[in-house]
Amino acid sequence: MSIAADLSDIDRAAPPAPQTHVGRRLLRNPGVVAGAAILALMFSIALAAPWLGTVDPAAINPAVRNKLPGYEETLRNADGRESTLVHHMGTDTLGRDVYSRVVYGARASLLVGASVALISVAIGLVIGLIAGYIRWLDGIVMRVMDGLMAIPAILLAIAVVSLSSTGLLAVIVAIVIPEIPRVVRLVRSVVLSVREEPYVEAAISVGTPTLPLIIRHILPNTVPPLIVQATYIAASAILIEAILSFLGVGIPPQTPTWGNIMAEGRALFRILPHNILYPGILLALTVLAVNMLGDGLRDTLDPRMSKRL
Amino acid sequence: MSGSAAAVLEVRGLTIALPSGADRALAVDRAGFSVNASEIVCLVGESGSGKSVIAQATMGLLPAALRAAGGEVLLDGEDVLAASEARLRELRCTRMSMIFQEPMTALNPVMTCGDQIDEVLATHTALSAAHRRLRVLEIVRDVRLPEPERMIASYPHQLSGGQRQRIMIAMALVLNPRLLIADEPTTALDVTTQAQILELIRELQRKHDTGVLFITHDFGVVAEIADRVAVLRQGEVVEFAPARELLSHPRHDYTRMLIAAVPSLEPRQREIASDAPIVLSTEQLTKTYRRSGWLRRGPDVAAAASVSLEVRRGETLGIVGESGSGKSTVARCIARLIEPSAGRIMLDGEDVAPLAAGALHRFRRRVQIVFQDPYRSLNPRRTVGDSIVEGPMNYGIGRDAALANARRLMDLVRLDPKSLDRYPHQFSGGQRQRVCIARALAIEPELLIADEAVSALDVSVQAQVLALLDEIRTELNLAMLFITHDLRVAAQVCDRVAVMQQGRIVEQGPVRELFEHPQHEYTRALFAAAPGRNWVFANDGRTRAG
Repeated sequence: MSIAADLSDIDRAAPPAPQTHVGRRLLRNPGVVAGAAILALMFSIALAAPWLGTVDPAAINPAVRNKLPGYEETLRNADGRESTLVHHMGTDTLGRDVYSRVVYGARASLLVGASVALISVAIGLVIGLIAGYIRWLDGIVMRVMDGLMAIPAILLAIAVVSLSSTGLLAVIVAIVIPEIPRVVRLVRSVVLSVREEPYVEAAISVGTPTLPLIIRHILPNTVPPLIVQATYIAASAILIEAILSFLGVGIPPQTPTWGNIMAEGRALFRILPHNILYPGILLALTVLAVNMLGDGLRDTLDPRMSKRL
Repeated sequence: MSGSAAAVLEVRGLTIALPSGADRALAVDRAGFSVNASEIVCLVGESGSGKSVIAQATMGLLPAALRAAGGEVLLDGEDVLAASEARLRELRCTRMSMIFQEPMTALNPVMTCGDQIDEVLATHTALSAAHRRLRVLEIVRDVRLPEPERMIASYPHQLSGGQRQRIMIAMALVLNPRLLIADEPTTALDVTTQAQILELIRELQRKHDTGVLFITHDFGVVAEIADRVAVLRQGEVVEFAPARELLSHPRHDYTRMLIAAVPSLEPRQREIASDAPIVLSTEQLTKTYRRSGWLRRGPDVAAAASVSLEVRRGETLGIVGESGSGKSTVARCIARLIEPSAGRIMLDGEDVAPLAAGALHRFRRRVQIVFQDPYRSLNPRRTVGDSIVEGPMNYGIGRDAALANARRLMDLVRLDPKSLDRYPHQFSGGQRQRVCIARALAIEPELLIADEAVSALDVSVQAQVLALLDEIRTELNLAMLFITHDLRVAAQVCDRVAVMQQGRIVEQGPVRELFEHPQHEYTRALFAAAPGRNWVFANDGRTRAG
């Protein structure tokens, strides 16, 4: 034991690794900051829609059909006085205010994006953990997932929506299903590599039952890549929802979404481009913001992934 | 002392700064030493001492974050620190060459070995393709590779580790450089292969009058190969002297401490009661892996074949073998981290080999394992306290009681009980290994398996952890299964030793008997290859040249 005493100063504490706090590193990433700022703006627009000078987005007024942006409509109120309503983004073929429709349309897009991301990550996480941990199920689960992935997401979504009634829920389900395999693959690959780590084996050998083992030692490793994956899913869900609505199989036309506004504007695109232009810009901006956020998160949370995707 | 007239490499006052925020300001601090023609200088130091940084600086390969802040590195009188990138490219391979620890990653996996050697010649000489091929075959023969024609047509993955390192050496020496830098070239190799590679470097260096800067952490290797030795601590050369002198009369305290920490090959003597109860015995334990194909069954590979051993209470059984010998497979079968294919694992008279996962819960309490890599065996996201109490809480002990016990265990493994709420990255490798030992002890096992538990540690830390394991085994009267590739370590902690080769135990017996009269030829080969076997290090006061 004399050696141990002599050497006690050699085995000194390693200085804490120069780790900056994750939050600070995120704030230093321009993609994260810009993406989050644009998204925050979009969410506040969606939430504050009734107070942003909008009128009922579904209100039809044949008198003011197909007006250009900036058209001033004179309204006669109940008490006989006149007031002016400015159609900042013009009106569509049914005389609905495009500005109000675009602002309210943000609700559908963001709702679909966020809920598809959450639901597909939740379901994919469970399936992925099972596939990665229970070896004999792996082959079966992964072949089913491969099968799902082989069908183009849009076609699968159209098929699901056509089988059920149209509606927000149907659209979300239709987009979630083709997204699940991607999450499953990701989670499974993390589980397969982490379960070989000595600390997982050490936990097994101190008698940790399977469920706590997965929750304590394996699950936390899937969180950073999943956050990143969730943003990509959200971006793609917003796009798919817009495409479904554009094709007329999405959310019913009385609820405005960026996709169905554009679909309705298609016929008169040459004369009245604003019907497609404004929702198109917002859609592109939102998807860009989500992707920027995702790339930034990936670079800060999970540097190894930047090579893979 | 240094015949500077013949110095191939002369390092003077070399200072290399670390980026701000590192654990110290300088990676290398005014280091000075020299390498003469046809001489081997060993640069010895523990991890983080800056030995590889010196090699990188000499080759002009410093990572971008590091920069030379002062001093000079003279290669045949020319300062390479001041050389341009173009000049460095000229110098590499023609005047100085380097070989690395891991030949698999240093070689290009998609080029044949011959093409890689040929590339060196094509870059630096004007030889025709036919002449280059002759030279390649000649150097491959020089590094004692069998069937040179086949070797140069092979890809790196088709060769063994030792053969790959020979290819690296061939590449490095094909242009007869004045200086060869060898950065831990044998650390990743088995001991028998290591002995051959050391011999090869020695032979080629003599033949071509090459100066060799040999970087190592292993004093056995130093005793084997060095003419002169420079000892590096935290970037400073604390002692630079002829090998024989330095090994037998180290002057600096740090050198003395390092040499004293080298475990002796002389087995220790300890009486164990032969009537102590047998804690663990295996009978014909076998683990075969099947390479399964889609259409036809692949051949079975026996990782462990008919292994029978027993460990008594208070006794340490060592399993010694080279990589791939199956020693870790046996350990993992016994800990039931993998399922044995056949045979019995008797623990207190009960066979645990056929138990299903659910039934193992009761058994896990009695066998614990400490792994090799202290950086990966603790969950980085949980405090060490959480890691230690996890086991006891799995067996129904309350968190408070478990924490109180954890504090006592931290004391036992000589760590501050207050640091239970710290995270693994705040500890050094040796400290983490202590935490792992505390975790293993927390559920009071009867058998402790140490799977290469000290192999990843620096020699001074290794000595401490070994002493700790030994002390704990005595104090708690544990049975211990000690897996190692290092005969010196085995000599110091084991009471009995089993030697494994290709999945089988070829010989087992009391450590003293086995070390003094090895019966099996493989055991003898292992001893013959142990680096520095003829040297008794200044351990326990004994100091003499062998």
